[in-house]
Amino acid sequence: MSNVAVDILLGLAVALELACCIGVVAARTTFDRLHYASAGATVPAFLVVAAVLVREHVSSGGLQAIVAGALLFFLYPVLLTATARAARRIDYGDVSALPEEKGR
Amino acid sequence: MNAFTIAATILLLGFLPLGFVALRTRPIDGVVAMQLAGTVATLVLLCLAEGLHRSFIYALPVVAALMSWIGGLVFARFLGRWL
Repeated sequence: MSNVAVDILLGLAVALELACCIGVVAARTTFDRLHYASAGATVPAFLVVAAVLVREHVSSGGLQAIVAGALLFFLYPVLLTATARAARRIDYGDVSALPEEKGR
Repeated sequence: MNAFTIAATILLLGFLPLGFVALRTRPIDGVVAMQLAGTVATLVLLCLAEGLHRSFIYALPVVAALMSWIGGLVFARFLGRWL
């Protein structure tokens, strides 16, 4: 039973992660690409950690897998925000809203 | 071969489209691709640690997640400032 659960979790994780990789290629703008990059650090990572926990339970390996997944989940939004600000600065020269954007 | 090593092997294919983006698009798009590559590398190491049954390898995905985050932050800051 646990083998089936591991197979399903890993299959979903791999499919979603590869979909995010293809999404980064297919997206048109940097900001669209950031959406796919952020998605790749959340759900697929949770699924892989869940698969490891099904096999390992809460052992040393399971705890370190939780830490790796938590690092991805909590740190990557900071990184993606910094990248979005950098892209905004490159494209528009500043991160503050343009006059035509303030009325929206 | 077990499910974890097979998953790690298939996940490695994700580097190909990301490498294409890094080579063919703007530098800032390459940084985005590099950040996702860091995530993929972390998941590959996590799968290999479980698939190979080596408990000491579990430290690698933790370090990879932290280091790819720091590296991506440095690239984002420098590109935003000097491009």
